[in-house]
Amino acid sequence: MEALVAFAQNLAGGLLIGGVYALIGVGLSLVFGVMRVINFAHGEFVAVGMYLTLLLYGYWGLDPYLCLLVAAPFGYGLGLLLERLVLSRLIDAPPDSTLLATLGIALVVSNTLHLLFGGEPRSLYVGYATATVRLGPVTLSVPLLIAGAGTLALIGALVLFLSRSEAGRAIRATAQNRVGAELVGIDTLAHHRLTFGLGTALSVVVGVVLIPLLFVTPAVGGTYTLKAFVVTVLGGLGNLAGAVAGGLLLGVVEVLGASYLAAGYRDAYGLVAFLAVLLFRPQGLFGRAVRRV
Amino acid sequence: MRRIGILFLVLVLGIPVAHAAPAGPVLGVISSFTGRFAEFGEQHRAGLAVALEEINARGGVRGQRLVLLVEDDTSSVTAALAAAERLINQNVPLVLCCYSSSITGPVAQYFTRQRRPFLVFTSSDDAITRPGSEWVFRINQPSSTYAEVLFDVFDALNQASGGRRPIQTVALIHGNGAFETAVATAAEGLAKGRGYTLVDKQSYDQGLTDFRPILNRFKARSPDALFMVSYAEDSVALMRQVKEVGLNAKIYAGGAAGFALPGFLTGARDAAEYVVTATAWTKDVKYPGAQSLYERLKRALGGKEPSYHAAQAYAGLLTAADALRRASLTDPESLRRALRETNLMTAYGPIRFADFRGYRNQNPLKMIAEQVQRGQFVTVYPQEAAVGRILFPAPPWDRR
Amino acid sequence: MRPAEVIPQPAAFAVDRVLGWAAGCGVLVGIALLPQLLPGYLNLGIALLVLVGWATAWDVLGGWTGQVSLGHAAFVGLGAYTLGLGANTYRMPPWVSAPVAVLLAVGLAWAWGRVTFRLRGPYFTLSTIAVAEILRLGAINERWLTGGGEGIFVRELARPLGLDLFDRHVQYYWALLYAACAVALVAYLAPRRFGYQMRAVREDEEAAQAAGVDPVAVKLRAFMLSAGLVAFGGVLYGAYLSALVPHALFDLRLSVQIALTAIIGGRGTVWGPAVGAVLIVLAAELFRNLFASANLLIYGLLIVLVVLFAPRGIVGQWERWRVRRRYARSVAGR
Repeated sequence: MEALVAFAQNLAGGLLIGGVYALIGVGLSLVFGVMRVINFAHGEFVAVGMYLTLLLYGYWGLDPYLCLLVAAPFGYGLGLLLERLVLSRLIDAPPDSTLLATLGIALVVSNTLHLLFGGEPRSLYVGYATATVRLGPVTLSVPLLIAGAGTLALIGALVLFLSRSEAGRAIRATAQNRVGAELVGIDTLAHHRLTFGLGTALSVVVGVVLIPLLFVTPAVGGTYTLKAFVVTVLGGLGNLAGAVAGGLLLGVVEVLGASYLAAGYRDAYGLVAFLAVLLFRPQGLFGRAVRRV
Repeated sequence: MRRIGILFLVLVLGIPVAHAAPAGPVLGVISSFTGRFAEFGEQHRAGLAVALEEINARGGVRGQRLVLLVEDDTSSVTAALAAAERLINQNVPLVLCCYSSSITGPVAQYFTRQRRPFLVFTSSDDAITRPGSEWVFRINQPSSTYAEVLFDVFDALNQASGGRRPIQTVALIHGNGAFETAVATAAEGLAKGRGYTLVDKQSYDQGLTDFRPILNRFKARSPDALFMVSYAEDSVALMRQVKEVGLNAKIYAGGAAGFALPGFLTGARDAAEYVVTATAWTKDVKYPGAQSLYERLKRALGGKEPSYHAAQAYAGLLTAADALRRASLTDPESLRRALRETNLMTAYGPIRFADFRGYRNQNPLKMIAEQVQRGQFVTVYPQEAAVGRILFPAPPWDRR
Repeated sequence: MRPAEVIPQPAAFAVDRVLGWAAGCGVLVGIALLPQLLPGYLNLGIALLVLVGWATAWDVLGGWTGQVSLGHAAFVGLGAYTLGLGANTYRMPPWVSAPVAVLLAVGLAWAWGRVTFRLRGPYFTLSTIAVAEILRLGAINERWLTGGGEGIFVRELARPLGLDLFDRHVQYYWALLYAACAVALVAYLAPRRFGYQMRAVREDEEAAQAAGVDPVAVKLRAFMLSAGLVAFGGVLYGAYLSALVPHALFDLRLSVQIALTAIIGGRGTVWGPAVGAVLIVLAAELFRNLFASANLLIYGLLIVLVVLFAPRGIVGQWERWRVRRRYARSVAGR
C-alpha cells in the first residue's frame, strides 16, 4: 500500500512538472512549426521571466502570479524585437544560419542577465512557497500545482486562439504552406513575427510560474532549452498536442526514473527517449508520418 | 579587408604589452572576478582588500608597502593558466589562487612543475594537497573534513545520550559536482567506519532541481539523519522540498557551502530551521578578531553579507605577507621554507602547514558546525569555538 | 565573359604576392620560435594551438561536410581521460594511450554516426547535444571508470625519448605539430576526391547521391576523421591541464566554443578555423582585464553579427572578396 501511495505521489509530481515542460515545449514547437526555426534561445527567455518576476516582486511587492500581466506582454515585445532585428533577415537562409543566430542570441541574453544581476542563484520566497495540499493520500506542493494546472490552462487558451481566431488560423496556414498562405492574402512575414513573439511570451510565462518553485542563475536557460527540445521532439516538431503529451511524458519518465532507477541519470532518461524518438519515429510519438526533413 | 588585417595585427601585438614588474614586495592573486564564479571572486576581493589595508597599516613587508597583482581568470582554466604564466614572468615570488577546484588543480600542477611556491586559500578538493607537492600550500580545510565535522557532531550527540544511540541510520543526497562528490564519498566512508548504517545514497545532476522522488524514497526508510551536500542553488529548493514532502529526520546535516550562505536563510526561511551545517568560518567563532573581521568585510562588500570565502582570502593574504617577511623575495626555495615554518594566528583561525594522513603542506584547521536557530546561524561545534548549544532532535514538520 | 582560371595575373599583382609570402613566412618563423621569442606566453600559445587543431578538426565535419555538431567536447574528454586513466590505472605510456584514444574516438564516432546520420540538418545537431550530454552524465556517474565527479590528477607520464611531456616547451611543439597536421590534412583533402565528396554532400545530398556519392558513408568518414583528430588534441589537453574534471571536459560550453571558433573564422576553408582560434583566444586574453565582465557578451554578439553579415566567416568572406576583386579587375580589362 505504501508503495502504491509513493507511486501515486511520484506520478502526480511527474504530471505537474510535465505540465510545465509542456508549456516550454509548446512555445518551441509553435515557432518551429510556423517558421522552421529551431530556437536555441528559447530557454533563455524562461530565465528572463524569472529575473523579471524577481525585480517586480523585489521593488513593488507584486505577487508572482500578478507579474504575469506585465511579463507576458514584455516577452511578446521582446520576441517581436528579436524577430525583426535578426530572424527576419534570415528567412531564406539555410536552417544552419537560424540555428546559429539563435545560439548567438542565447549567449547575448544569458550574458546580459549575468551583467545585470550577477551570478548568484536567486529564488523567491512567497508565503505559500512550501504550502501543500492533500488530495487523498497524495500530498502536492501548492506552487507546483498552480504551475502545472495553470500551464495546462494556458495551453488550452492557446489552442482556442489558434483554432478560433483569425490570426490563429493565419498562423496555422503559414505553418502548413507558406506560399499557399501568401497566395490567399496572408502576410506571412507579419505572422512569423507574431508567432515568435508568442513563443517568447510563453517562455517568459514559464519563468514567472517557476520562480516560486525553483531558482534562477544566468546559466539556467540552457537546461530549459534542452528540456524544450526533448519535449518537442517527443511530440513531433510543430505538433502542439504532441508537445503537451511529450511534456507530460517527460515529466513522468524523469520522476519515475529518478525514483526507481539511479537518480544521477535523471536527465539521461529523457535524453535517451529523445534520441530514440529522433531515430525511430522522427515525426514524434504522436505526429503523422511526414517526409524526413 | 585591410582594416581587418590591421585589427588583427593590433590584437596580436597588443598581447605582449606586459606591465613592468613593480619594485618592492609583490604578491600575485588569481581568482574568478567574472564568469560563472564571479560571486565568489567578489567575496575574495573584499577579503584581499581588508587584508591589504591591515598589512600596509602595520608597516607592510619589511617597511615597504605591499603591492598586489590581481588577475581575473574569467572562470576559465585556460585563462587562469595564462594569468599564472604572466605572474611568473613578472617574477612575482608567491601566487595565491583561486576559487574552483577545476581551475586550482591545473594551476597547482603548473606551479609545482615550475618549482614556485603556490598558496591555496579556498579550493577544497582533497587531491590538491593529497599528495600535493612541496610547493603547494593550503590554508583552508579540505573537502573530506566537511563530512568529518558533521560525523563528529553525530558522535557527540550519541555520546551525550548515554546508552541509546539516537542517530543510527543516515540517508545521503548529493550533487554530482567535484566538491559534492568528494564530501559524499568521505561521508560514506565515515558512516561505515564509525558504525552508522547508510540506508540510501542518491546523487543528482545540476539543473532543474526536483528532489521529490529522491526524498520520497528516503522518507520510506525513516533515516535518523539526513546528510545533504548541495551547492547554493539547490540547497534552498532541497530544504523546501524536504518540508513539503514531510521527511522527518532527527538531524538535518548540510555538508556544503550551499547551506552556510546567507542566501539559504532568506530563500528557505522556516524550512532552514535546525539545519546543522559544516562551514569553514563564522563571524561568532572564538578566534581573535573574528567579529571585527566580519564588520570590515561587510563594509568592504558594501553592506552585503560576507561568506567564509572572504575570510579565507583575508587569511591567505596575511599568511603570504607573513612568509614574505621571513624570506628572500628572489629565492623561491627560501620562500617555500618560510611558508613551511608558518605559525600564525588569524581571525580565520590558526595557520600552519603540516603533513598528516596523506596530506602535505595542509593547514590542520578544524571545520566548524553551525546551526540555524531562530533564523540565525549559531556556531555550535566544536566546544572551543561554539557560542551556542545544539538543538536536538529537530521537531517533526507538522509540530513546528 | 572569360572564366576566372584563364585570366593571366597582371604584373601589378606581383608586389602584393611577394609581400604576402614574406608576411606568411615571417609569421611561420615567429610561431616556430615562440618559446624563444616570447617565453612567457607558452600557456597561451599551447591553448591557442590546441583550439586551432580542434576547430580545424571540427570543420571537417561541420564546414566541409556541413553537419554541425555541438557535441565534440565528448571527444576532448575521451582523449584527456584516456591519457589520465591510462597513466594512473594502467601505467600506459602516452604513445600507447594516444592511439588508443584516437581509436576509441573513431569507434565512438562510427557508432554514433551510423545511428544519427539518418537525420538531416538541425535534427542531427540536436542529437549531438543529446549524445554528448549522456556521455557527460556517464563520466560523472561511473566512478569506477573515471573517478566520478571529483576527477583525477595525472601525476606521472612516461617519457618518450626522455622528453618530459609536462614541460611547457615540449607541449608547445607537440601542440604546434598537432595544429599543423590538422591544417595540412584539410589542405591535402580539399582538392582531392574526398574533399569534393564532402562538399557535394554539404551542398545537396540528393544530387550527390544521384552522382554516385554515398552521403552516409562520406559523413561517417568525415565524422570519424574529425573525432580522431579532436581526441588526439584531447590527449594533449589532458597533459596540459594534468588535473581532469568531467564537468570541464565534457561541457556543452566547450563544444559550442569549438564550433563557434570554426564558424567565425570561416567554415569550409583551410585557414578559417585557425584564424577564428587566433582571434578568439587573443581577443579574450586582451579583453580579459580590459572589459572583464563584458567579454563573454561580446562573444555572443560576435556570432550573431557573423551569421547576419558574414555568414562565410572571416576567411570565407575574404576569399570571396578576393575572387570578386579578381573578376572585377579582369572585366575592367586590367
